[in-house]
Amino acid sequence: MNRVTIEKKVLSENDRIAARLREALTGTGTLALNFIGSPGAGKTAFLEKTLERLPVHTRAAVVTGDLQTENDAIRLRRYGFPVRQITTVGACHLDARMVEDHVSDWLQEGLELLFIENVGNLVCPTSYDLGEDLKVVILSCAEGEDKPLKYPGIFRKSELMILNKIDLLPHVPFRPELALENARSINPDIAIIQTSCITSAGFDPWMNWLERRAARKKAAASTLAAATR
Amino acid sequence: MHEMGIASSVLEAVHQETHRTPGCRATKVGLRIGEYAGVDQESLRFCFEVLAKEMNFSTARGSLELEIDYRPASDDLAISFIEFDDAEEPEPSGTSVRKAEV
Repeated sequence: MNRVTIEKKVLSENDRIAARLREALTGTGTLALNFIGSPGAGKTAFLEKTLERLPVHTRAAVVTGDLQTENDAIRLRRYGFPVRQITTVGACHLDARMVEDHVSDWLQEGLELLFIENVGNLVCPTSYDLGEDLKVVILSCAEGEDKPLKYPGIFRKSELMILNKIDLLPHVPFRPELALENARSINPDIAIIQTSCITSAGFDPWMNWLERRAARKKAAASTLAAATR
Repeated sequence: MHEMGIASSVLEAVHQETHRTPGCRATKVGLRIGEYAGVDQESLRFCFEVLAKEMNFSTARGSLELEIDYRPASDDLAISFIEFDDAEEPEPSGTSVRKAEV
């Protein structure tokens, strides 16, 4: 019997493409956000509200993933920014190749913001690096406060948590302080913004956060370009 | 069901390594899975068995075994080793180790 010792990441091919994509995003100064949440958490509505509030001159684009239908892309296109649907036909997550295939020409034209709406799922998308700057997990008040404990991987890997649908709080037995405590028990550094797409609560801090992060990414790209000149 | 994709990637790695060791048959593959990797072990085992049969890794001489090393508080997801036996000229039992270039 011969044992061959190997150190090979299972998703090494995905990681290779994600690294290439990340390099391209770094070069163009594009802030890329990977939104992950359960089906029905409000990812598409959150992006709709975000696009609605973006200045029209912003160079932003969206790729949105679903198993079937163009429904989300149709919704998101109403705000005047380029949107592409990735239909995974059964796959429970987006992978780096799917994203690269759908955004390469946009990156050549120059983008400030790239929103990636992943397939509704708190498990599988966690494993796949898409070359993004950060993962954003969206949890809604219609779910359980213990979601961070049940699905620790995504809460651990996310830099920001959106607690969405807070307009439902008077009507549902959801304790937001417990959800926040659970999320911080998994990831003490996670930033949290509470939002409602119905009342627009929380969208001022979210848009400010987004603007700051995009400016930081752009500045980093300018510094890099100056250093390599 | 991304476990099917993971099983496929693992078996592809075994397939590639088998090509580097002509005349040998892969008998076991070791996989490290972290708690935060988002992988259901039972689902992965099921997918692995199904695909191994389809890809002819399981033969009359035995099936390809999956050994999972579960790591708490980790997001690791990596192949750690592959074991082979010599299909043509069986060697005395023992373990030799060489580093694979992957």
